[in-house]
Amino acid sequence: MAEDGEEKLLATVQHIVKTLGRTDTMTEDILKVFSNYDGRLSLDKLYATRAAAAAAAVAAAGGGGGEHSVPASPPMPPPPVVHPPAAAIPAVTSLERTVRTLDRQISQFVTMERLIWANSAEADAFLEAVDDLIGTVQELDAAGTNRPLLDRADELLSRCMARLEDEFRALIERPDDVAPAAPGGFASDESEEEDYDADDGYGDEPIPIAKPVSDFDVVIDALPPGSVSDVHQIARRMVDAGFGRECAEAYAAARRGFIDESVARLGIRSRTIDEVHSLPWEELEFDIARWIPAFKMVFRILIPSERRLCDRVFEGLAPYGDLAFVAAVRTQALQLISFGDAVSAASRAPERLFRVIDMYEAVRDLLPDLDPVFSDPYSAALRAEVSAVCNTLGSSIKGIFMELENLIRRDPARVSVPGGGIHPITRYVMNYLRAACGSRQTLEEVMEGDLGAVGGAAIAVDPDRPTSSLAVHIAWIMDVLHKNLETKSKIYRDPPLASIFLMNNGKYIIHKVNDSELGVLLGDEWMKQMMSRVRRWSLEYQRGAWAKVMSVLQTGGPGIGCLPAKALLQKLRMFNGYLEEICAIQSEWVIADEQLREDVRAAISDSVKPAYMSLISRLKSSPEAAQDLFIKHSPEDVEARIQHLFEGVSK
Amino acid sequence: MPATDSSSAATSVGRSFLSLRRDHHNHIPSDPHHSNSSDLHEIDAFQRHAADLLNDLVLSVSDSDSDDPFLSLAWTRRLLDSFLICLEEFRAILLGLGLAGGDLARPPLDRLLHDFLDRAVKVLDLCNALRDGLDLIRQCRKHLVIAAAALSSSSDSAAPRGEAQIRRARKALTDLTILMLDDKDVSGGGQRNRSFGRATRDSSASHGHGHHRRSSSGGSSGSGSGSHLRSLSWSVSRTWSASRQLQAIGGGLTVPRAHDVAATGGLASAVYTMGAVLFAVAWALVAAIPCQDRGLQAHLATVPRSFPWAAPLTTLFDRILDESKKKDRKHSCGLLKEIHQIERCSRQLIEVTDTAEFPLPDDKDAEVQEATQELLQVCDSLKDGLDPLERQVREMFHRVVRTRTEILDYLSRPHNATG
Repeated sequence: MAEDGEEKLLATVQHIVKTLGRTDTMTEDILKVFSNYDGRLSLDKLYATRAAAAAAAVAAAGGGGGEHSVPASPPMPPPPVVHPPAAAIPAVTSLERTVRTLDRQISQFVTMERLIWANSAEADAFLEAVDDLIGTVQELDAAGTNRPLLDRADELLSRCMARLEDEFRALIERPDDVAPAAPGGFASDESEEEDYDADDGYGDEPIPIAKPVSDFDVVIDALPPGSVSDVHQIARRMVDAGFGRECAEAYAAARRGFIDESVARLGIRSRTIDEVHSLPWEELEFDIARWIPAFKMVFRILIPSERRLCDRVFEGLAPYGDLAFVAAVRTQALQLISFGDAVSAASRAPERLFRVIDMYEAVRDLLPDLDPVFSDPYSAALRAEVSAVCNTLGSSIKGIFMELENLIRRDPARVSVPGGGIHPITRYVMNYLRAACGSRQTLEEVMEGDLGAVGGAAIAVDPDRPTSSLAVHIAWIMDVLHKNLETKSKIYRDPPLASIFLMNNGKYIIHKVNDSELGVLLGDEWMKQMMSRVRRWSLEYQRGAWAKVMSVLQTGGPGIGCLPAKALLQKLRMFNGYLEEICAIQSEWVIADEQLREDVRAAISDSVKPAYMSLISRLKSSPEAAQDLFIKHSPEDVEARIQHLFEGVSK
Repeated sequence: MPATDSSSAATSVGRSFLSLRRDHHNHIPSDPHHSNSSDLHEIDAFQRHAADLLNDLVLSVSDSDSDDPFLSLAWTRRLLDSFLICLEEFRAILLGLGLAGGDLARPPLDRLLHDFLDRAVKVLDLCNALRDGLDLIRQCRKHLVIAAAALSSSSDSAAPRGEAQIRRARKALTDLTILMLDDKDVSGGGQRNRSFGRATRDSSASHGHGHHRRSSSGGSSGSGSGSHLRSLSWSVSRTWSASRQLQAIGGGLTVPRAHDVAATGGLASAVYTMGAVLFAVAWALVAAIPCQDRGLQAHLATVPRSFPWAAPLTTLFDRILDESKKKDRKHSCGLLKEIHQIERCSRQLIEVTDTAEFPLPDDKDAEVQEATQELLQVCDSLKDGLDPLERQVREMFHRVVRTRTEILDYLSRPHNATG
């Protein structure tokens, strides 16, 4: 059993102390070493057995009768057996004297009108008296024979504690009121204090938190090292005397002002969810732009600095440091987090995607760094809230991204784009997706919904494959867009114009995909399919728009040589009419992509021009027709007319 | 789950939507999507289940021996459970219908749903405020623990409590009392009353008593450390008011017109039911838990008896209002049973220990011991109950968000375009 082991350990320590500790100071030193060495040798465990510990202390002191013989702090470990308090009986009278002396000393201190810690010598004297008093109380408590004296000492102790609590708060809230750096053996700070410049006029300097910060590897030292040491000394006495909870409360109350002020300096306005919902997007976007750096600042600098300060003030005094830390930072931490909740719960308009991604990334990126800060059980709930808001923002991103689909579906097919050009929805969706690709790692992460693995294994997700969730979803959006465009193409009364429209939009999509990482996501198969679609639309256009022209130019195979000249002339007239008609109508049509425009013109030329030339040559070779043959368009004219198509010039 | 067989629905004439719908069947052409009678059974079942859940909640009012007495932490957790169940069923009905090809985005249902969603957003702020309130109680508990530890710290439990213990406990209880003062009783955070720089030494007994009197008489100033703590308890802005928020949640929540009920195949009633449950639960939570600017003036327009949950809902409102009007609860920061216990014990302890005579006389010491026992017990139930309750409030928050998002998705999804 662990408890058994602990008991043995304590007994051993006790034994070593007794054997080695021949003088008081030596005993104290040894104890100090032990208590620093192992948390089990100090604190809460020992309170449960305080009586036994004190009795042992009396015994260990060997009834020397010295008033300062008991090392008060840290408390003595309990012995395996309680010694009969025989040695304590003659000590009672001396204890009475001790209490009387301490009362005189302490009363002077606790009625002081100014801070005791303003004078470090006085502070040391007060602490020494408190130590003696704690020891005396323990002795009396263990002896259990002089109840009135114990009550009196206890009462004196409670007055000390009240005063210590006030000094404690004052030292934390206004460190600059106090004379600098109390000397004393507690020089544990030096190694960590390289970045602290004592000549800097620390007290006058505003807390360096509002300055623009790009490097978050910064620690704020809200208290000068001397104050930290002073405050730690007080905390130790309060915990030793069993006032740990009061101390933690006082600490939290004293720090909250600083934390509130620091957060306020970041320019964060507290918003209710109601407000976030009704705020115009521009304003909310502005709030988000402020929130992101503030969030990083608070969770990367302010809170870790608080943790560090708290750990130093309550060094070796767990769990009171943890209690104090959470109580100090909780409200502000939650308030910042709740803005994330509010934004997540607000509208899912697609334009919000990028700002919410920024928020998500800010939270996600700092999650791993929070583990050492929120490692104790008391702040685990805060850590969980940060994780939760990360998840919430993640699903919000997913939702917003999905909303793009609805936006496309809802886009009505009422007004057609003149000339069959590129539809605004195509431009919007493609540019949106291109931009979204810039965050495809994050998008993939939230699409996979594998948010539990954030910060660790999530990096392994490879968004650059057409089978990734993001790629599948983007392919789906492209599909939805395609269907939407097909519906829109139906409102053109001219079927060839509908083909032009689809062709234009298809070509634009291909261009945008090729021009970005979308190509990687959608894959070669998709691209092949898309290109064949564009070819099909192009053919459909040619067939639809030029079918009657081609049929009129049809002079049949070699066997149709007997076609009467009249019919040939009729064909020529019809061709002329059709050409005029087509050019009149289609000159307003547009093919936006230059290459595609050339290709389509060439394709038309390639089929029309030879057929036309063959018709003309037939007419010319026909004796009847040749007489009154008037050729309005040379084949070159026809080609020129075709070359002017699709420029989108209105009449 | 209550029985959902058609006979019980049919016999409850004037109560069920089947009958309501039947009344209008001949006048209003019915939407083919909504003519499925199993939907109607579902909506009826949902309402009857809501009624059962509310009934269970008000039953514990009369049953004083129950495990979770009225307005206790355990009861409040049950209240939240009931709400979550209702929300889940409501969601299942709506989304089930949506999946079956029904159209939620058609008037008048779309308007009713948007109303509901607006209420839902307002509940989210309330959830955040309630979390602050629970944190306030948690802070109170810390002081309670200090007081309890001080009063039971003596190694010799038979010995009467000494002045030091009493002094320490009183200090903790005074901080606690200030913390629990109603908002209106706290005027701007004054400087902490320090022991140095002021001549307040040796007067801590009367000092503490002064605080106490202020709390019980609803006085106007709080100059102790508590007001400093207090000003930091709320994460919402100073002007935010739970009372007004409740009014906004309940505002415009009117009984659906028969025409709308019929046109939506009963869904209008389901939306109304959920709106009423949402309001009632929010209202009860504000009643129980400390909140910035608490107030229970908001009320629901009279619910027709034809709704099965009308009676238990009214009872719930009445019982809570009765409780809030009790003389000793009027100035409480919340009606939670545990808060009442805290107030009672701490008041008793402060009164009993308001003495210069130490050690305490035996009779007083016995009284202190008894109150200390109760204090310890409250500490325990707070320890066990606060965290789960806070988690549930968070759960409520997240579930409301989720349901809201899902409904919005359905409303924005263009079913018409594809179907």
